[in-house]
Amino acid sequence: MNTAFLGEHLWYGQAGHLLIIIAFTFSILASIAYFISLKQKENQAAWVKIGRLAFFVHGLAVFGIVATLFHLLYHHYFEYYYVFAHSSKAMPKQYLLASFWEGQEGSFLLWTFWHVVLSLIVIWREKEWEAPVMSVVSLVQVFLSSMLLGVYIFNYKLGSSPFTLLRLHPDMANLPFVQMTDYLQKIKDGRGLNPLLQNYWMVIHPPTLFLGFASTVIPFAFALGGMLKGKFTEWVKPALPWTFFGVMILGTGILMGAAWAYEALSFGGFWAWDPVENASLVPWLLLVGAAHVLIIFNRKGQSLMTAYILCIASFLLILYSTFLTRSGILGDASVHAFTDLGMSGQLVVYLGFFVILAVAMLIRNRKHIPLTAEEENFSSREFWMFIGILVLVISAFQITLTTSIPVFNKIAGTKIAPPADLKAHYNAWQLPIAVIITLLISFTLFLKWVKSDWKEVVKKLALACILSLLITGLFIWKIKINKPHYDALLFTAIFAIIANLDYMIRVLKGKSKLSGATLAHAGFGLIMLGALISNAKSTVISKNLSGIDLGKDLPGNENIMMLKNDTLMMGDYFVSYQGKKQEGVNIYYQIDYMTYNWSSKKMEKAFSLFPTIQTNPRMGNVSEPSTRHFWDKDIYTHISYADLEPVNPGDEYKKPFTQTIAVGDTIGTATHIIIFKRLERMVNRDSLQLKPGDMAIGAVLQVKDIEGHSREAMPVFVIRDNMMFTRESVLEEEGLKLAFTRVDPETKKFDIEVTEKRDPKKEFVIMKAIIFPGINLLWSGAVLLIIGTTLAIRKRIRKNKA
Amino acid sequence: MKRIHIIGIVVIALAIGAILTTVADSSTYASFKTSVENPGKEYHVVGRVNKEKPFEYNPEVNANLFSFYLKDNDGQERKINFNGTKPNDFERSEQIVIIGKMKGETFEASGILMKCPSKYANPEEQRKELKQGA
Repeated sequence: MNTAFLGEHLWYGQAGHLLIIIAFTFSILASIAYFISLKQKENQAAWVKIGRLAFFVHGLAVFGIVATLFHLLYHHYFEYYYVFAHSSKAMPKQYLLASFWEGQEGSFLLWTFWHVVLSLIVIWREKEWEAPVMSVVSLVQVFLSSMLLGVYIFNYKLGSSPFTLLRLHPDMANLPFVQMTDYLQKIKDGRGLNPLLQNYWMVIHPPTLFLGFASTVIPFAFALGGMLKGKFTEWVKPALPWTFFGVMILGTGILMGAAWAYEALSFGGFWAWDPVENASLVPWLLLVGAAHVLIIFNRKGQSLMTAYILCIASFLLILYSTFLTRSGILGDASVHAFTDLGMSGQLVVYLGFFVILAVAMLIRNRKHIPLTAEEENFSSREFWMFIGILVLVISAFQITLTTSIPVFNKIAGTKIAPPADLKAHYNAWQLPIAVIITLLISFTLFLKWVKSDWKEVVKKLALACILSLLITGLFIWKIKINKPHYDALLFTAIFAIIANLDYMIRVLKGKSKLSGATLAHAGFGLIMLGALISNAKSTVISKNLSGIDLGKDLPGNENIMMLKNDTLMMGDYFVSYQGKKQEGVNIYYQIDYMTYNWSSKKMEKAFSLFPTIQTNPRMGNVSEPSTRHFWDKDIYTHISYADLEPVNPGDEYKKPFTQTIAVGDTIGTATHIIIFKRLERMVNRDSLQLKPGDMAIGAVLQVKDIEGHSREAMPVFVIRDNMMFTRESVLEEEGLKLAFTRVDPETKKFDIEVTEKRDPKKEFVIMKAIIFPGINLLWSGAVLLIIGTTLAIRKRIRKNKA
Repeated sequence: MKRIHIIGIVVIALAIGAILTTVADSSTYASFKTSVENPGKEYHVVGRVNKEKPFEYNPEVNANLFSFYLKDNDGQERKINFNGTKPNDFERSEQIVIIGKMKGETFEASGILMKCPSKYANPEEQRKELKQGA
């Protein structure tokens, strides 16, 4: 039975589905054609042409899918589940991009899209390497586009399509509502993008990170392509700039994530060792290793096997990360992981396929890939670079191990939980590793390839070393970092910065063309220095000193309650909560930071911060910190808790009470004294809206507060056609409602009903304030790292051209 | 012995070291039963918040103490003292993980893990919203 549903735009979805199928099919074709071209003696060019054509069709189809989904989002076609679930009419237009990649399907599409873009550059630039590289990339595209298929094969759902109709989506299909022919007219708006994600980070971070993910496929494809083509060493040179590109862009993506976490989310830091963060850090570490080992091979013809392994491993670990974050396996271990979309099986197959393929190819071709035969000289640059690469691998291994605990549980059926103190656990390994890495990057550039004269190296390094020791001493004395392992990193990080800058000035004479490595290394040193100082010396200034001591097991009394207009001393500041205002879904809390001016003996406002709570009926209320940036430190302020319960209009007043009194008597309330002065027959009938036949009498009451301020009120008693009622007198300022409810002519007593306002609840917030010193070192290091790596890419491209 | 062998041995030793520290540092997902039997040992307990029983949070007295009742997956219920503020939107939480140890009759939690709202898609709620919108 085919029911026609009103107002649906089915055409677009059908076109979208068709494009997905085209993209899928033509990636298979491209991969096969490119592969055949490698194995054929004749007609190579023709097969390459077919492969290229097929890939162009695939690429066009992918662009078409992107355009179609964008069109659906732009026009709010809520008959499509993805549009309904991730966008809304109420949402500002600039977040359309963000809703595009908020969901799993959209982010897979983004990834696929970047692969196409990078592939087109490969086809354009890498003439000789087009066929081998593209046969591998196309094969990857087969798997990626299958994630978007959303078709059933023998009851198994392959992929998940962004063009699934709302009424056919598994979560919705059984609702009677969607069976109505006019269901679409009844949907007022979509669910919209999570307001938490409605910020510019969500617009720039995912595309950068996914471009980083995508960039790892190229070195991987070069490594496999080298084996496919039987050119076991020649792939290294063209792969070099691509690998550095990956290092740069994936690094940028990770750092953006850190900045987002620091600026807008309330993690209280830039790195939390969450599995999702680790999942992109590990491939980056391996990619950095890969880039360096490629340099060694390019220069010395050594460590080819390591080059293969690292280029392959960085891509495989991207796949592994994808599996970790999207299969739902992290479950309780991560707060950010996606929930399962029923694709975990597919992701395992995907990962398994490429692991087996790569390992099998390496084993098959092992004779062509010599393991290092000759010993490198202890004083050679390549030896220490290689040590550095091994250290990176160990770092990646350790992070992967702990991140994989949920996977281990799944396989072995155990119930191991991640370490309770994640930070301490990772730091125990990663801090010494950081010491070694920063030490290595400070002196390795001063070594010559093959063999260097130690005496000369020491002479060259002496200045930087002495300077670094002095600065380290100054730092230790000034900011008192008194832990030996922190001091070690403090020195090596400073040494790395100074030695590299020294190398750039004295050896390279400031030539920017050649300075990529030194800048990147100095940048890395700065990142480590910033991370160290801001972590070791971050101070919670909102310590709760009055709170009940829970013992030393629970030392974290880091939140403090502030009543409105109260001022508390925190660190060097006097901090005061001034009130809140609501704009849309956001409530802004004004926190004033003041300093005491000794000469004028007055408090002076230094600055105000506006931490926010987003009231988010769908996702829950989310607290967003506000940070004041200084050149040497940041002051981070965050609302940990605020009473968001709106005051119920009916709850404003207490239960009324009635007293029977005579003229001259007094009633006491919590705040006032009410004296019954007299009865008044002259009442203003118009303002009381009385009818001509009504009988009315007023009670003149004097209302006095504790300080003696007094005013008069006159509730009125009315009789209309044997009905009795009252016109009450409302005193807003005093918080009183007075009514005249009964007259007893015999005893000359009268009933006065008093309704008191509840005590206004003292408004408060619970906040946390942290000072992060030296965080700007980290961000400037990040900028240097990105600039340096970009220069390195440029240098490699130029060298390859020459 | 060649230098490369020494390096190899060091790398293997470090890898084993990494495995051992992961095992040593790791905690265990456990029930209250296990936690009661081993007081003072840190566990991750997965469970559901009992929303019928009151949440106690009196910031005027102590802004860093939040108490509630949690029923673990075996059905045992305990009072939890969490050293921190009441998480935003705690009322809406479904399954949560608490990290901490037993101390007397109560479980002293140093951490609460709730699902990051950005990735939290609840089909039930979606349906409800759809109906409300209609």
